[in-house]
Amino acid sequence: MNWLINVVRSSIGKKLCMALTGMCFCGFLIAHLAGNLTIYGGKDAFNAYAQRLHSLGALLTLAEIGLLTFALIHISVGAILFYGNLTARPQRYEMKKNTGGRSLGSATMPYTGFLLLLFIVFHLMNFHFVDKTRQSIFEIVSAAFQQPLYVVLYVTAMLVAAVHVSHGFWSAFQTLGLNHPKYMPLIRLAGLVFSLVVGAGFGFLPIYISRMT
Amino acid sequence: MGLESRIPAGPLAEKWDRHLFELKLVNPANKRKFDIIVVGTGLAGAAASASMAELGYNVKTFCIQDSPRRAHSIAAQGGINAAKNYSNDGDSIWRLFYDTIKGGDYRAREANVYRLAQVSNLIIDHCVAQGVPFARDYGGLLSNRSFGGAQVSRTFYARGQTGQQLLLGAYSSLSRQAAAGKVRLYARRDMLDLVVVDGQARGIVVRNLVNGDIETYAADAVVLATGGYGNVFYLSTNAMACNVTACFQAYKKGAFFANPCFTQIHPTCIPVHGDYQSKLTLMSESLRNDGRVWVPQTPGDKRAPGQIPEAGRDYFLENKYPSFGNLVPRDVASRNAKEQCDQGKGVGETGLAVYLDFADAIQRDGREVISQKYGNLFEMYAKITGQDPYETPMMIYPAVHYTMGGLWVDYNLMSTIPGLFVTGEANFSDHGANRLGASALMQGLADGYFIIPYTIGGYLTGGGYKKITTDHPEFKAAAGAVASRIQRLLAVKGKRTADDFHRSLGKIMWEYCGMARNNAGLLNAREKIAALRSEFWDNLLVPSTGAQFNQSLEKAGRVADFLEFGELMIIDALARQESCGGHFNEAFQTEENEARRDDENFTHVAAWEFAGEGQAPVFHKEPLVFENVKLSQRSYK
Amino acid sequence: MTTAKTIHLTLKVVRQTGPDQKSNLETYAARNVSTDMSFLEMLDVVNEDLTLAGQDPIAFDHDCREGICGMCGAVVNGRPHGPQEGTTLCQLHMRHFEDGDEVVIEPWRSRAFKVIKDLVVDRGAFDQIIQAGGYISINTGGAPDANSLPVPKEMADQAMDAAACIGCGACVAACPNASAMLFTGAKISQLALLPQGRPEAKRRAAAMVAAMDKLGFGNCTNERECEAVCPKNISIVHIARMNREFLKAGFF
Repeated sequence: MNWLINVVRSSIGKKLCMALTGMCFCGFLIAHLAGNLTIYGGKDAFNAYAQRLHSLGALLTLAEIGLLTFALIHISVGAILFYGNLTARPQRYEMKKNTGGRSLGSATMPYTGFLLLLFIVFHLMNFHFVDKTRQSIFEIVSAAFQQPLYVVLYVTAMLVAAVHVSHGFWSAFQTLGLNHPKYMPLIRLAGLVFSLVVGAGFGFLPIYISRMT
Repeated sequence: MGLESRIPAGPLAEKWDRHLFELKLVNPANKRKFDIIVVGTGLAGAAASASMAELGYNVKTFCIQDSPRRAHSIAAQGGINAAKNYSNDGDSIWRLFYDTIKGGDYRAREANVYRLAQVSNLIIDHCVAQGVPFARDYGGLLSNRSFGGAQVSRTFYARGQTGQQLLLGAYSSLSRQAAAGKVRLYARRDMLDLVVVDGQARGIVVRNLVNGDIETYAADAVVLATGGYGNVFYLSTNAMACNVTACFQAYKKGAFFANPCFTQIHPTCIPVHGDYQSKLTLMSESLRNDGRVWVPQTPGDKRAPGQIPEAGRDYFLENKYPSFGNLVPRDVASRNAKEQCDQGKGVGETGLAVYLDFADAIQRDGREVISQKYGNLFEMYAKITGQDPYETPMMIYPAVHYTMGGLWVDYNLMSTIPGLFVTGEANFSDHGANRLGASALMQGLADGYFIIPYTIGGYLTGGGYKKITTDHPEFKAAAGAVASRIQRLLAVKGKRTADDFHRSLGKIMWEYCGMARNNAGLLNAREKIAALRSEFWDNLLVPSTGAQFNQSLEKAGRVADFLEFGELMIIDALARQESCGGHFNEAFQTEENEARRDDENFTHVAAWEFAGEGQAPVFHKEPLVFENVKLSQRSYK
Repeated sequence: MTTAKTIHLTLKVVRQTGPDQKSNLETYAARNVSTDMSFLEMLDVVNEDLTLAGQDPIAFDHDCREGICGMCGAVVNGRPHGPQEGTTLCQLHMRHFEDGDEVVIEPWRSRAFKVIKDLVVDRGAFDQIIQAGGYISINTGGAPDANSLPVPKEMADQAMDAAACIGCGACVAACPNASAMLFTGAKISQLALLPQGRPEAKRRAAAMVAAMDKLGFGNCTNERECEAVCPKNISIVHIARMNREFLKAGFF
């Protein structure tokens, strides 16, 4: 296993960890969004989706453990990279301009990542680690979004997520070495579309729910 | 002391093979007992270091820049010749040999040039194996072009960056040996003296450019691959750090300097545009394949080029040389441009330029094709001048580019100091009085990869050298002399910077010892240089101290040597009472204004021996014997 | 781009006497700068004036002044090699500045590139990366005929694109993380594209990346600042190829 440790400890290996876990999260986001969309079908559809999801039992727990592991990797490796990159230039420039390569997403990756971490903790406290025996998940959600602060918070978080994946998506391909002059423009476009879908798809939900009742 | 060229006997084509056989070999196990110093990491130096390290020698390699990869070989654009005959146009080793001898105006050694042509093919093989990305055809095989007046397509190239790619290839081999511990690299070191012990070259004195320390290094042999001295003209296409110091100090220690007046003026450079100008930029002469050179018919015609009708244009190269046209050799093209400007037909703000026009080529082949061939050159031109050569003709003017002269070496590339070898542009050996295009890269790599690794073994087996260290008194003495010279430079505390003196020297050299020379001018220049030199030591201003990074001090030392070396060039130019190749004395020209050689009296190498400070150098003659080619007047009509 | 013949500038130059010294931002007036000058010629003139005034001239690296040796480079107004795309500092001409401009000039900043003096930095780390494997392991003398191994033109051209790197260090200077991935990627990619380089492609990728990591460069976060400032327009496609080669080396 020495070889694996060597790979993972290298700069490209760490990037690989970020790329692979990041891609899994992209997959998760799609699944999560697909599920959430059932809310447009109304209260019953949404509750039914939740019920079916929970009926998966051990499989769901396994997925949760998987996601948690990936999250730990993504966060810890990200933190190591962030720290490493900060120290790679001990003396800063008096004047530094972006020269055209940097985007909003790429420039803010560590910060949007950190905000998302805070949000996820908050989100899990709200909707995951709650007592769902006395009220349905729909009731919990719609109650939460009756408070405007929640709506604002969630919509903002979704914008942050969109910014994060706008860089993360194509970046993962680049890190995996999947950059070809013919296909890269498509991948970058796909990344943009994906970030819009995430931002808009998740972002409209709180607004919709707050207006439902 | 006589000059022994040590050219092996026998038929021309067998000399090198026979010599290789006769050279004694160093036992593989013994190679690691020998230390070799290589100064310079251009093609000749990097290739020599890498190849000798591969053989097992311990090599210490020095360069003036921050990395071996930056040596000025990197700036060569056009290509490298080899007698591969891949183009099936009748090329051969013999033809490459013949072209080089003829192009050099019969002032080079037959045996050396033939060997150069022989190993040219090995160079291409080796460089391809190293991963040099030469241009290729769609079939995947190497592409060739015709270059610099050659009638065959024998030039291999990597876009307009052939020198860069060949140098990075040599640098990669050097890096491999550095990683293997066989080469120790010393960057940012300026060689300031050669150490000679018991008549043999045994080490060098360098200044560590980062902290100013004077360091000494000992070895069993020393290889100088320190390039040419074109910067004696101040403005040249050489890099800013190119200098004569290493060679000149070796000269002062007993190495003869050969043919210093042979300098090449390259016809296609971007013209000078101001006093502040620090260097000139060359554009590959491949441009002359498609560009047409012209000036206005009437002197003083200041109309914009587009306003001058066909009838008002003088395509002077095409008119004068119908068969070669714009592709005449460099010296001929340069001199003709100067002639036109002297007649007042020069163009541009300074009147010191001629047009190089691509309008016809663009019309014939389309902009696309021209851009594929010369795109990067056009871009470079536009960057520097702010003009678009697709729209308006380029302006070009000749500039000093290469120096054929250099330290005298025998067939083994050894100078008159035993144990001191000289390779590449730093020696004088292969180009005679004029170098053909795409031959400098060939010679540098030939010397480095395929000649010195063998010949140095022959010297080392001569053996019996006692091991010495830098504790030897000669090292102490040389280091002391270097230190006191630096102190002398710093102590003047006058009012003019080294750059300023250099600019003045360059003007004298360009004016009197440039494209065309005459005896009165040369004598005048000699006096002016002497006067400038004495002012230098009275009025030089070097800021700061020697014990730190001090670029002004580096420069001052180099200019001090140029001020002495310039005079040697003048002396050599005066002694050669003929015209040949890059040396054009106005008193010796044909009715068609071509260089007129005097084969009876000057078919020789002039080698100069240092006779002491303030003394005239001593002249030595190495007669050149031509057994295989017939000397003829070059004609490109 | 100005059409004026001469302009006046205010230079703000980072001065630093040695590697472990503190740096200061000093202000100098550059008057009557001809717009035909290169940036380095402008510095030459400023230095000549400083020297004559008894001050220490500004140290800066330079050599060929043709944009090919890779020796020069400084961050000018926040951008390595200055404002013109695809151009080294020595090829940047003053016509790209306007009269009255303030020009901030700084050295490359990176943990792996120590400042030697003023604008001069030590890029020895690049040599060490190449020494780790940026070569094809052949000795002089053993090569087969150059045409015995055909190389598809597209591959040779792409290899040349990567090989155009001049090792100036602008990629590191521009990278928000001071990463050397473009430099390293260009060499790994060039040799991986050529059949001659395939036999040791894996070993090379692993060794060069390891060397790069050890030398204190930052990590790539695909910011693409490097390719934006590269004076030779080298693309991050070569970084992707390096990643591929490295992962192949690691996993297979």
